Amino acid sequence: MTVRNATKKFLQAALFYEIWDAMKVTFKHMFHKPITFQYPREQRAIPDTHRGALGLLRYDDGQERCVGCDLCEAACPSRCIKVISAEDVERPLQRYASEFYIDITKCVFCGYCVEACPVNALAMTKMYEFSTHDKRTLLFDKKRLYDIGERHLDDAKKYLYAHNQEKNIEESREYRYYFPQSVIKSTQPAPKHLS
Amino acid sequence: MGLKPATNPDVEAATIELAIDGKTVTAKDGVSLYDVISSTGKIIPAMCYHYTFDPFGSCGMCLVMQEGKKAPVRSCTAKATAGMIIRTEGDDLFQARKKAVEKHLSVHPLDCPVCDADGHCELQDMAFQHGVTNLANAKQKFIPEDTRSPVLDFNMNRCIACAECINVCKDVLMIDALQFMKKGGFNQVVAKGDLPLACEFCGDCLAVCPVGAITNKFSKYLYKPWQMKKTTTTCNYCGDGCQMYLETKDTEVIRVTSPLSWKNKWGDRADTAKGHGGLCVRGRFGFEYIDSAARLKRPLLRKGNQLVEVPWLEAMHTIVDRFADIRKKHGPEAIAGLITARCTNEELYLFQKLMRVAFRTNNLDSSARYGHMNFVRASKHALGIGRTPNDWEDLTKAKAVVVIGSNLTETNPLTSVRIKEAIRVYKAQVVVFDSAITNLGKLASHPVLIKAGTEGLVIDGLVKATVELDLVDEESVKKHPQAYAALKSAVAPLSLEQLAAKTGVSVAQFKDAATIFAESPRSIVLCAEGIVRQPDGYHNVLKLIDLAWITGKLGRPGCGVNTVTEEPNEQGAADMGVAPEFLPGLASFDDQAMRDKLAKAWDATLPAIGTGAHFMEILSRCRSGQIRALYVVGENPLATLPASVEVRAALDRLELLVVQDPFLTETGNMAHAVLPATTSAEKDGTFTNLEGRVLRVRQAMDAIGESVPDWQIMTSLANGLGCQWEYDSANDVQAEIMKLLPGYYNLGQPKKITPTVDQYLSNGYAAGAAARYKRAPSDGKRPFTLQMGQLLYHSGKLSTAAPGLIKIGPNTGRLRMNPADMERLGLQDGASVKLTSDRGALQMGVQLDQSVAPHTCFFPEHFNEPPVKDLMSVHVDPVTGVPSFKRTGVTIEKV
Repeated sequence: MTVRNATKKFLQAALFYEIWDAMKVTFKHMFHKPITFQYPREQRAIPDTHRGALGLLRYDDGQERCVGCDLCEAACPSRCIKVISAEDVERPLQRYASEFYIDITKCVFCGYCVEACPVNALAMTKMYEFSTHDKRTLLFDKKRLYDIGERHLDDAKKYLYAHNQEKNIEESREYRYYFPQSVIKSTQPAPKHLS
Repeated sequence: MGLKPATNPDVEAATIELAIDGKTVTAKDGVSLYDVISSTGKIIPAMCYHYTFDPFGSCGMCLVMQEGKKAPVRSCTAKATAGMIIRTEGDDLFQARKKAVEKHLSVHPLDCPVCDADGHCELQDMAFQHGVTNLANAKQKFIPEDTRSPVLDFNMNRCIACAECINVCKDVLMIDALQFMKKGGFNQVVAKGDLPLACEFCGDCLAVCPVGAITNKFSKYLYKPWQMKKTTTTCNYCGDGCQMYLETKDTEVIRVTSPLSWKNKWGDRADTAKGHGGLCVRGRFGFEYIDSAARLKRPLLRKGNQLVEVPWLEAMHTIVDRFADIRKKHGPEAIAGLITARCTNEELYLFQKLMRVAFRTNNLDSSARYGHMNFVRASKHALGIGRTPNDWEDLTKAKAVVVIGSNLTETNPLTSVRIKEAIRVYKAQVVVFDSAITNLGKLASHPVLIKAGTEGLVIDGLVKATVELDLVDEESVKKHPQAYAALKSAVAPLSLEQLAAKTGVSVAQFKDAATIFAESPRSIVLCAEGIVRQPDGYHNVLKLIDLAWITGKLGRPGCGVNTVTEEPNEQGAADMGVAPEFLPGLASFDDQAMRDKLAKAWDATLPAIGTGAHFMEILSRCRSGQIRALYVVGENPLATLPASVEVRAALDRLELLVVQDPFLTETGNMAHAVLPATTSAEKDGTFTNLEGRVLRVRQAMDAIGESVPDWQIMTSLANGLGCQWEYDSANDVQAEIMKLLPGYYNLGQPKKITPTVDQYLSNGYAAGAAARYKRAPSDGKRPFTLQMGQLLYHSGKLSTAAPGLIKIGPNTGRLRMNPADMERLGLQDGASVKLTSDRGALQMGVQLDQSVAPHTCFFPEHFNEPPVKDLMSVHVDPVTGVPSFKRTGVTIEKV
């Protein structure tokens, strides 16, 4: 170690060089706009493609979109979805989900279920605040999922649009599949998209 | 339908050679080209093909290029001829097949996500395989779904008109319930005459449908094929022992599928001689009893006047203490046990071991006593085998089948399919003697309607006709001239004319039947409930054995006297020694060698020779107070036997009645303790079917509630009573049986057994024969014969716990009568009648039934509402102790 180096070290120690050096960063930030959001008083603007809580959607006439096809369940990599389906007694031939569960604690928010859904009944919303004291409430059931879907309908639609899943509601019904129609009598006219 | 030479054992087809993809292949002449190609291991897609029936050729997928032809040919409908040069691969063929898929898809609704066949759909697979992504000119059919049938829904939008359902129904099952009909511009599959489907509901059409056009009402929309756990197990409804796949989701049984499916469509038609892999209505749709809400979930103990749920430990302690107490006070003879033949071999074995070692009593019996024991005893006595000598393959390849007293299509539907195949493919002559107009009779070459209760006389007539026409086999008869002389003199006093008058069979029919039976190279007798469940069943089986002996059919391959069983393991119950007269392995109870072997293996002394009581004797000893404790496993004598047996009084006198059952039965309601047992879907084990094949039963799901498999309950009971049994699983029991009965576990391939008739014919045959042919059933004075029997849709009382089967075959509570009789008595459908027998009278409605013969009436034995069974008198066979209570004389009066 040379004398010069030793002197430099001594001076730096005596004048608190490291502290001033560090304070330089602090002083610099005094003239910046703060980066920290004051969550929860301030909320971040979230992009449309954001993968938040899942919600179930209805058609504009209030009818449930979900046909209970279990494809979301099949697509789910973390196996957090459980669909129990049945035939709608009121409307013969129509399959629907009598029960629908998403274990959001297991969900990895990959969005595969939304992609798998043939009727765009599932969508992700910008909702991410579901912390709770009771872990059991994180098993979202059908009612809760429809509530989320209803409350965040706009976000859900934007999500679907942003992911190129659904351009407008008109197309949604005849989107990818021709589902069986409830035929009450044989003289009934075919629906528009089937004729 | 044309006969395929390759499958007919009598025609040796010429061998030809042809080239497939550059390889020379040898084949039988006249076989479909598709069969030849698939036999080389090459799989060409085909949606309308199934090996069980003749090619139909509608899907246009099985295209191959034949040298010398410009366009691809359909290989399924083309016959293989010598010198053909065939190419099965290539881009042009791929494109042609793709076009065919596109053609089907363009009128197919793309509703895969909600279709039950999604993931198990041949059209889907083909579209995927051929990369069909774009459909120009797609057009929808928009046909309303046909939901009129109680079991199957027909969604003709999805149909690809492959006609597999129609072909399997017509050609394999010979029911012919489906047809094509042009409706709304499309060819649609409808039930015959476009009526609501009313058939045997075997569901084989559902199994072979390659798309989702036919769906099952009981599991509609409940599943996706990939979600379910699929367990191969054995059906526990009848003795056919069909293999089936039980598909479960958690604790629910979703559906049952069969080995017969569009998925395994490649095979040799000759293989179907061992069974075509299908199921019947009970197997396929009767699964709902397994997870029924009525299942017992916890043990029940009688406290005061009520059955109260208690923990297992308390229930077992109480039972063990009371059994031990009774044994101490009154000796082991005061304890008895009954078990159902719906239990597995392991449980039946353990049951008799429990009775004989832990309780030290020989008072034990199984439900095989209700009829099958007649056959077992007769066969054991005369032939030394104690089971049916023929398997399904023999039945299929028989040239003559005499079915006597068996409504086979109702009781054992899959065995009846074997006979149907014998008729259809092998051109067998079938003689059906029955006192009802049976479905098999409608297909048979020689259907004979006999008077109710004269089955024994019919056999007399057959033997007499054989002797009279000298159809005897010289070789067999010469070996035992004395026995034949005795038989001849026994039948000498009989006259065919008299027998004809009594039975309603003409002399010519007797002679025809005897000739057919004697002259065919492979002839089989099949007797069932009309023989073994009726008075003199034992002797009638012996008479049939006489018939087979004098015609030289005993021991000849493909010939023999057979029976069918109602419950899945009646044969196993006999084989495992669950009868006072038998030890495991069908050894006689006084067989000293077997007794020593068992005593050593079990480290115990067996109950003394000469002790023991069979079913009816146990009940009468209960009534007299000799038996004080009864252990009933799955059996329900109170609901089965008529009131005249006084089962209720017998059970009332018991100090301890323990019932072990998946359901709370009538007998269970009287019990002091009820233990919840599992059904066969929740345990491992084996069943021995009517052919003697030992078939696996596998655990498909966890036990419901706190129910426990029977073997486990029996093990803990024995251990409570001081034994040291260390069975941790059914496999441990199996290992023990394997040591004691080497070769019993035959992996589904029963040992061929040869009857040994010499001992029987040379010792005391004459006296027996003389007595046998003298018996005449007493003529009833009442004008009608009431018969109780099985329905196709039910099996015992178990199936009534399956809501699906009750929906298909509900208890109408009405007496079934022939229309002619109803007209004669001036009865309308639904009218009320008074039914009087020697045992009492009953008022009930009547119902028209074409299958009931004149002067008889019918009520299914599965239902006790109204209690028709109580009108029956019971006749107990003096030799075998088999109670017969299925037929009685009645008068019917209009109310």
